[in-house]
Amino acid sequence: MSTNPLAQFVIKPIVSLEIGGIDVSFTQSALFMLVGVVVTTLLMTLSMRSKSVVPNRWQNVSEMFYEFVAGMVHENLGKESRKYFPFVFSVFMIVLMGNLLGMFPYSFTYTSHIIVTGALALAVFFLATLVGIVRHGLHFFSLFVPKGLPILLLPLIVVIEVISYLSRPISLSVRLFANMVAGHTMLKVFAGFSVTLAATAFAALGAVPMLINVALIGLELMIAFIQAYVFAILTCIYLKDAIELH
Amino acid sequence: MNQTPDELARKIRDARARQAKDNPPPKATESSASDNASAGEAMRAATDLVAALIVGGFLGYWIDQWLGTKPWAMIILFFLGFAAGFLNIYRAQMGQTYKIGFKETKPETPEDATTPEDPAGKKTPANPAGKKEE
Repeated sequence: MSTNPLAQFVIKPIVSLEIGGIDVSFTQSALFMLVGVVVTTLLMTLSMRSKSVVPNRWQNVSEMFYEFVAGMVHENLGKESRKYFPFVFSVFMIVLMGNLLGMFPYSFTYTSHIIVTGALALAVFFLATLVGIVRHGLHFFSLFVPKGLPILLLPLIVVIEVISYLSRPISLSVRLFANMVAGHTMLKVFAGFSVTLAATAFAALGAVPMLINVALIGLELMIAFIQAYVFAILTCIYLKDAIELH
Repeated sequence: MNQTPDELARKIRDARARQAKDNPPPKATESSASDNASAGEAMRAATDLVAALIVGGFLGYWIDQWLGTKPWAMIILFFLGFAAGFLNIYRAQMGQTYKIGFKETKPETPEDATTPEDPAGKKTPANPAGKKEE
């Protein structure tokens, strides 16, 4: 195995494919996205098959996810929440699955690639913008003009507001991607310390980084949830902005 | 033991008050949850600032390429990006959560009556909004 802590992020094709000069290989990243989708679908359908009033463990898990996201969407979007729930739930689950599946040894964290998080964030951004434009028409762009703004400051503030608006998808995607890369790199670095120490005269000391790694894995699990939550809640907030147009 | 119901009620009340004073309700879960929330918030602040800088710099670069105004648009927009980044952080911290414009506090503080109510009016809406969001 490579000792380079960044080697774990290298995309490797499983089935090499090329269509019209474009590399469309089925990579391990795509594989884990597929696994994430399949696991989510199976979890949500199989566990709800019995539809019992007193839920069993699996049904409890899927109801927990459902209620968690439904509560979050409802809190932000109020009575409009029904329409946007499927989107927010899908985003939440795909991010959560990416983060959690990456915690398994030998797996791949697809949320550690900015192209993946960037695509998700852009989808959120364009959806929110489109919803705003469809609902409010050109009035949507009054979003960039704060109320009671002196006319002299208008050009300056509008540019700042537009930059602030455009920075949303970037900050959304960079946050998730950076957290995942940092966490997994850290785990690998500490594991590398263990291996290096074990080869020296102080072999027993190799257990120390390993113990730290155990704690770090706990932290990573927490971050996996927090980041999925942050991604979903910001999706809600952006949609809310577009719908309510404060 | 003969006690009137009133006496008993008073005793129970006293005991409850004593208990509440001696063992305040556990707050461990709550504080650790808010720790997580503030960790997430700190992370958000950092990326928000950098993201706005990137957008500003990139927009400036692109405008320079387009209009041939080599360094100027990039310099100006870089600083505006900096301003936008701080605006992002300011809004997130004030519980305005990424609102564009400052229209969120409008219902709570009417334009004319701002001066006497300003501190109270600004603080109360800011907090629940911030809590809700975490």
